[in-house]
Amino acid sequence: MRLSVIAVTLAIVQAGHAEIRFNRDIRPIMAATCYQCHGPDASTRMAGLRLDLREEALRRTQSGVTPIVPGDPAMSAVMDRVFSTNAARVMPPKHVHKDLTQAQKDALRQWIAEGAKYESHWAYEPVRRPAVPDGSGNPIDGFIAARLQREGIVPAPEANRRTLIRRVSLDLTGIPPTPAEIREFENDRSPAAYENLVDRLLSSRRYAEKQALYWLDAIRYADTCGFHGDNPFPAWPYRDYVLNSFLSNKPFDQFTREQIAGDLLPGGAVEARVASAYNRMNRTSAEGGLQPKEYLAKYAADRVRTTTQVWLGSTLGCAECHDHKFDPFTARDFYSFKAFFADIKETGLVPDRGAAAWGSQLALPSPEQKLRLGELDRRLEAARAAVPASPAPEWEKSVLDSYTAGELQWHYQKPVAAEGSRGSKLEIFNDRPVHAMFQEGASIVSEQKNGDGLVIASGPVPDSETYTITLRPGAGRWTALAVEAVQDESLAGVRAARGSDRLVISEVEAEVNGVRVPFDLATSNLTNATKEHPAMATIDGDPATGWGMTSYGHSGNMALALRFAKPVETTEPSSITVQIRHDTPYRRALVGRLRLALSRAVHAWPHPKGLPDALVAALRKAPAERTTEQKDQITSYFRWTQPGAATIEKLEAERGMIEFAIPRVVVTESVTPEPVRILPRGNWMDGNGAVVDPAIPAFLGRVDTGRRLTRLDLAAWLVSRNNPLTARVWVNRTWRQLFGTGLSRVLDDVGSQGEHPVHAELLDWLAAEFMEKWDMRHIVRTIVLSKTYRQSSDPRPDVDARDPGNRLLSRQSKLRVEAELVRDIVLWTSGLLTEKFGGPSIRPHQPEGFLAALNFPKRDYSASRGEDLYRRGLYVQWQRTFLHPEMAAFDAPTREECSVNRATSNTPVQALVLLNDPTYVEAARVFAQNMWKDGGKALNARIGWAFQRAVGRSPDAVEQRVLTGLYQESLRQFKQSPTSAKALLGVGDAPAVERANAAEMAALTSVARAILNTHEVITRN
Amino acid sequence: MNHPFDRARRTFLGRGFAGLGAFALASLTGRARADKWDGVVSPLHHPGKAKRVIFLYQAGGPSHLEVLDPKPKLAEMHGKSMPESFTAGQQIAQLQGKALVCYGPQLEFQRFGTSGQQICSLFPRIGSVADDLCIVRSMHTEQINHDPAHTVMNTGSIITGRPSMGSWILYGLGAEAQDLPGYVVLMSSGRGGQMQPIAARQWSAGFLPGRFQGVKLNSIGDPVLYIRNPPGVSTAMQQKSIEAINALNRRQHEALLDPEALTRISQYEMAFRMQASVPDLVDLSKEPKHVFERYGAQPGDGSFASNCLLARRLAERGVRFIQLYHRDWDHHGAVKSNVTLKAQEVDQPTAALIRDLKDRGMLDETLVVWGGEFGRTPMSQGGDGRDHHMRGFSYILAGGGVKGGISYGATDELGYAAVEDPVGVSDFHATMLHLLGIDHKRLTVKFQGLDARLTGISGNVVRGILA
Repeated sequence: MRLSVIAVTLAIVQAGHAEIRFNRDIRPIMAATCYQCHGPDASTRMAGLRLDLREEALRRTQSGVTPIVPGDPAMSAVMDRVFSTNAARVMPPKHVHKDLTQAQKDALRQWIAEGAKYESHWAYEPVRRPAVPDGSGNPIDGFIAARLQREGIVPAPEANRRTLIRRVSLDLTGIPPTPAEIREFENDRSPAAYENLVDRLLSSRRYAEKQALYWLDAIRYADTCGFHGDNPFPAWPYRDYVLNSFLSNKPFDQFTREQIAGDLLPGGAVEARVASAYNRMNRTSAEGGLQPKEYLAKYAADRVRTTTQVWLGSTLGCAECHDHKFDPFTARDFYSFKAFFADIKETGLVPDRGAAAWGSQLALPSPEQKLRLGELDRRLEAARAAVPASPAPEWEKSVLDSYTAGELQWHYQKPVAAEGSRGSKLEIFNDRPVHAMFQEGASIVSEQKNGDGLVIASGPVPDSETYTITLRPGAGRWTALAVEAVQDESLAGVRAARGSDRLVISEVEAEVNGVRVPFDLATSNLTNATKEHPAMATIDGDPATGWGMTSYGHSGNMALALRFAKPVETTEPSSITVQIRHDTPYRRALVGRLRLALSRAVHAWPHPKGLPDALVAALRKAPAERTTEQKDQITSYFRWTQPGAATIEKLEAERGMIEFAIPRVVVTESVTPEPVRILPRGNWMDGNGAVVDPAIPAFLGRVDTGRRLTRLDLAAWLVSRNNPLTARVWVNRTWRQLFGTGLSRVLDDVGSQGEHPVHAELLDWLAAEFMEKWDMRHIVRTIVLSKTYRQSSDPRPDVDARDPGNRLLSRQSKLRVEAELVRDIVLWTSGLLTEKFGGPSIRPHQPEGFLAALNFPKRDYSASRGEDLYRRGLYVQWQRTFLHPEMAAFDAPTREECSVNRATSNTPVQALVLLNDPTYVEAARVFAQNMWKDGGKALNARIGWAFQRAVGRSPDAVEQRVLTGLYQESLRQFKQSPTSAKALLGVGDAPAVERANAAEMAALTSVARAILNTHEVITRN
Repeated sequence: MNHPFDRARRTFLGRGFAGLGAFALASLTGRARADKWDGVVSPLHHPGKAKRVIFLYQAGGPSHLEVLDPKPKLAEMHGKSMPESFTAGQQIAQLQGKALVCYGPQLEFQRFGTSGQQICSLFPRIGSVADDLCIVRSMHTEQINHDPAHTVMNTGSIITGRPSMGSWILYGLGAEAQDLPGYVVLMSSGRGGQMQPIAARQWSAGFLPGRFQGVKLNSIGDPVLYIRNPPGVSTAMQQKSIEAINALNRRQHEALLDPEALTRISQYEMAFRMQASVPDLVDLSKEPKHVFERYGAQPGDGSFASNCLLARRLAERGVRFIQLYHRDWDHHGAVKSNVTLKAQEVDQPTAALIRDLKDRGMLDETLVVWGGEFGRTPMSQGGDGRDHHMRGFSYILAGGGVKGGISYGATDELGYAAVEDPVGVSDFHATMLHLLGIDHKRLTVKFQGLDARLTGISGNVVRGILA
C-alpha cells in the first residue's frame, strides 16, 4: 500500500522535474525499504552496512564490494541486489514483503547514475525564505500558480460569495453566517469586502474557540485524569488560557514559553503559571498498587512524546526503548529531552481525592470571592470567640454518662407512608426482609435482612424530586432528626444515589401534625465530605445548594443529623412529615435507600449510637493522655453542642462553598531535578543506564549556557531560528485546517518516513514568515486571503484524474467539520446555542449507563441544566476513558495521548447520533418552533427559511417537494397519534411554543430534523 | 497519521477509476463497496481456519492458581516465605514493601475428559468440554496494573491511541454482517463487587478510522447508543425521515458531486438496518427454554450467561470479533470465596457456548478465548487474597484451528513465572491473527512514520497449539 503511495507521488513530481532528487524521490524509498536494517539504529544493522549516510554507502564493505558507486550503477552492489532475480540475493529480502516497484528501481538507478547526490533531510535544513515566483500578489498564490503553470493547469475560479462566506466563517469561527450576513456579503461589491469579513471573523471570540480545538488535541487537554477511576481534575482554567491566547493573538513564541516553562518565567505572572498546566495534562493514575517509579517514567515519556510531536513534528517516542529506526534520534536524545522535565514536582500515584488530590495546584479566586472570604473570616472569628474554647470536665462526664446510659442512641423510625412527587416509587420495608449488597471493608456483603424502616426508591428517576415520608413516632420529646442514606451496590451514583455522580439533598423540612418545625443546625458523619455540599446547606432555604457526597472513600451509611430549633413534642397519634428535597442543579442525585431516626438527646451525633467510636475512646482517656487529634475531636464536638454552634456552622458552610467554587488548576511546580538515567530498552527497573543532562536532540545542534539547561532553555530553543522544525510543523498543520491536507501530508512525522512537501518552497516561505513575529493570526489571515484558498471546491474531473489528492491545489476541498462543530452548527441553526466564553466544562445529555464500566467511584451522570446544555462542543466535559459519544462518533480524539490529525470517518453511528441523540432531537424541535414563528405562515416559506438558516441557500424544487412530502406524511401520522406528537415535542428542556397545534409542530419537527441531518449542514464546501 | 481509508475510498467511489490514486489504495485491496468493508487482507495471507473470535475476557486478573494451573508444590510451601530467587528484582503491585509469603492453592483440581486436563473442580462444566480445550499455562504480560494491562492485552501497546485487536481484525478482514457492527463488545458485572473500571479505549480503533471501533452492546438503556427512535417517532416515520434525508443528500450530490454525500446515504441506510436488526438480535424471546437452561441465563438479566448466548447469536449473524468482559476477578482478598462466586457465574455459560457452537458446526471456525489481563501472585495478600501478577498466568483457547485436549507451556513449580514455552501477549496476538489467515507482520498501517502493527516489533505464532 505504502509503496504505491510513493509511486503516485513520484508520478506527480516527475511531471515537473526530470532530475531525481534525493529528498523527494529516493529518501522515501530507502526509508521504507532499506533503513530498517541499513539505517541509523546500530542494534539492528545488518552486514555493517549503512545507507542513510553517503560516506558509509560509498565505502567498500568487508566482503569487498562497494554499495554505491556514484555515476556507475553497474558497479554499485546495491543495484546488483535490487535488480537481482535470485530470491536469495534480492534486496529487500522477500520475507519482509517490501518489494520495490520497477519505477522505484529505475529511480534508484537514475539517481546513482546522476551521481548519488544525498541531501540532508528537508525538514532538518535551516528555514530560508525562498523568493516568491511572482511577487505581485499574495505570495501563496505565486508559489501555487507557478507550479500549476508548469503542470499546465489553470486554477479553479473563485467560489461563489455564499459558499465563500460559509467556508471562511466555518474555518475561522466554526459557526455559519446568518442569512443576513450572507446577503450583506453578496451585495458588498467593494474590493475590501472579503478582507473586512476575514478581519471581523479573526477578531471574534468564536475564532479563539475554533482555533483552540486543534491546540487542545495536540496538548491533550481533558477534564479527567485518564487512568483507572478517570476522575475529573482541575484543568479548565488552562483551557481558558489557551482560548484567551488565541483571542489576544499571543505570539507563538510567548505561547510556547508560557506553557513549557511559565512557572520559571520571571515575574511569576498568574497567566504564565496557569499555562504551565501544559506539563500536567498527562494522564495520571491513582490505582492502588502501582509502582511509583514506573508511573513517573510513564508521565515523563508522555511529556517527551507530546512536546516533540507538537513542536518538532517528530516521533521521539520509539527512542524510549531504542535508537530511532529511520531518523537520527537516539535513545540518549529521548532521555536527555526527558531531563528537561525532571524538575517537575510530582508523585507516581497521583491522588484523585482528599487534601493531596492532583498535586500542585493554583487557586484563582475572583476579587468578589476574596472579598467575601475575608468578610466571612472576620465574622467567623467573632462567632468562635463567643463559644467557649474547650469543655469543662463536668461536661465531658455528662456526655459520657448519657452515652453509656444509651440516651444518645437514635430511635430508628418505621415510616407509615412515603411517596415521591415526580414519579419515584417509594416502598417501605418495616418488618419484612430486603436484599442488600454493600461494601464492608474490602469485601462486598450480600444479605437478606429485615428492613427495619428502610425506604427504597425505584421506578422512574426524575431530575429533581421530593420524597415525603410520614412517621408516627409515638409520644416523646425530640431534639433532632437523622436522614440516613443507606449505601447499596445497586445504586448507580457513588453507591448512594439513584443516578448522577453524587448524592445531593437540597433541603430537608419537617412538619408535626401539619405545622412546620424548623431546624437550626445540621451536621453529618461523612469522612470524605466535600466543601461543595455541607450539611447546613439542607436548611439554608436555597434549592441550589445541598448536602451529599461526590467521591468514594466513605464506607458505610451516610447520615445527616438535623437539630430542631426547639425540641418537638409528640403524642401517641402525632405524625411527623419529613420532606427530603433534591432540587440542586445535579440531576438525578436522589437518595436510593434511606432510614429516618429521631433523637431525644441534646448531643446526639449522626452515628447510630449517638457518638463516633473514636470520640468515645477520646473521652474515656485521661486528658493528659489524649493525642492532639483526640483533643481536637473533643473540642470540635463540644463546640458543635454549644448554643453558638449554628452561627459558626452556617458561616463555615458558606465559606466552604465559596472556597470550593474558587477555580483551581493543576500547575507545574519546580523542584530540584531528579537525576535522569537512560533506561536500557525502556525498562524503568534498570538503574544501570548513564545519567544524562537536559539537551536537545544531538543532531539538531547544541544549546550551551554554561549551566544545566532548564525548561526555559528548551522553550527558547523550540522557538529559536536555530530550530528548523517548529515553524514548519505549525504552518503545515495550519494548512491542513484550511485545506484538509497538509503541504506535507504526514502531519505527525516530518522525518524520513514523512512526506516531502508537494509545495516545499511555499511551506518554507510560510515558516519563514511565521518565524518573523510568530504571529499565528497573520499566517491564518495570509492563507485565507489567498486566491488559492478562495477557489471553488467543486471537483474537476480532468485535473482530479491527474492529481487525485488535489495536492497541487487546483481547487479547494470539501470537508466535513470537526465533531465539536457538528454540535455547534446544529445548535446554532436551531437557535439553541448559548455563546459564553470560557468557564467550567459542561455536560450535555448522555445515554444512561454510559459510565457503568467505571468505578472508584461507581457513578452515573448528571447532564447540565439551563444554558450549559446548549454551549459549544469545545466546552463538553472531556472524559478521557469514556469520551462523550457525540464527540467520539465524529472522530474527536480521547486526548489520552497527543493527537495532531483527526480522522474524518463517515459511519452509521454518526447517523444514529444525528437522528436520535436527544440533543439533536431537541434542536430539531426548537428549529421547528423558530420556523413556525419566524419563517412565515406557508409551509414552503417555512422550509425556505429553514434552508437559508441551515445551509445559507434556498431549497430547489426537488428539495421543497421532498420536505413537503415528509411534512404531509408526518402530519397524517401525528394527527392519528396525538400522544406521539406530544412525546416528540417533549424532548429536551427548552420551552415549547404553547399556542401551536401539536400535530403540526411535530410534523414541522420532522422536517427540521431531516434538514439538520443533511450532509450539507456539517460540510464546508 | 493519514487515513487513506475513508475520504480516499469515497473519492474513488465517487469518480470511478478516474479517482484511482494515492488515496484509493485501500479500496483496491479491500474491494470495498459503499456500505461494506471487505478488509485489506484479501486474499488471506494463508488459509485461515478461524472466521471469527469470541473473547471471553475475565477482567480483573483471574487467579491461575485457583482455576487452571494446579501447583502442589505451592500447597507444600503454604505459609513459608516465598523464596527470594523467584521474586528478587521483580515488579510487585500492592505487596510492595510487604513480607512475601507463599499461599497454597485454595481450591481442588481434578482431571477431566479423555485428555485428563486438570482444571479446578468448581468448573466441572468447562471440564466437561476439556477435550476441546487448549489450556495455555505460560502466558505472561508486561503491565501489572489493570488499566495498562488491559491496554496491552487489547492493543499490544501501553501507549494509548493504538487500535484494539478487534479493530485490527475488522480492518484486516471486514465482516460478513451487513446490518450489525463487525466488532461488538458486551460487559457483565459479577456478584463479588471487585469491579475494576474498564476504559472505552479497550475497544477503540485508535488511529484507524472510527468504523473499525468496537460497538458496545449495553444491558442498561439502549442496547446500542442512540439505536432507539426519538420519543413519538414510529419506525415508519423514521424510515420516511431517512428516505427524505437521503433524497436531500442525493440532490446535494447531484449539485456538488461530493462523494461523501453518497457515503452519507449508505451510512443512513446502514443505521436504519441496525435499528431493526439490533432489537432482533437482543430479543431472546425466540430462543427456546432449553437454550436458556443450557446457558443458565435469565432473559434480560445482563449476566455473563446472557452475554454468552448473545455472543452465539452475534457469531451466527456474521460479526467478526465478539468480546465479552466479565468484570469481577480482582481478588486481592478472599480469593477462595470469590473464585467460587465466579465459578458459579462463568462455568456453565462458557461450557454452554462451546457446546452450542460445536452442535451448530461453528466451533471449528470460531476461536473462543477465555482469560484476563494478568494472573495473581502465589504469595498471599492480606492472608486470604492474591495480588496482581504478570509473569505467569493461564488462558483457555478452543475451536478455530486450535488443538483440543492439550495443555501448553508451564509456570515454575510455584506458579510464579512462565518457564516452559512462554507465550507473551504479542505471541498470543500473532497466533490469533494466524488462525484467521493473517500474517501479523503484514497487517500494518503507517502511523507516526512507522509501519504499526498489533504485535509491535515482536510476536511469534505459537505453532505447538495449531491443529
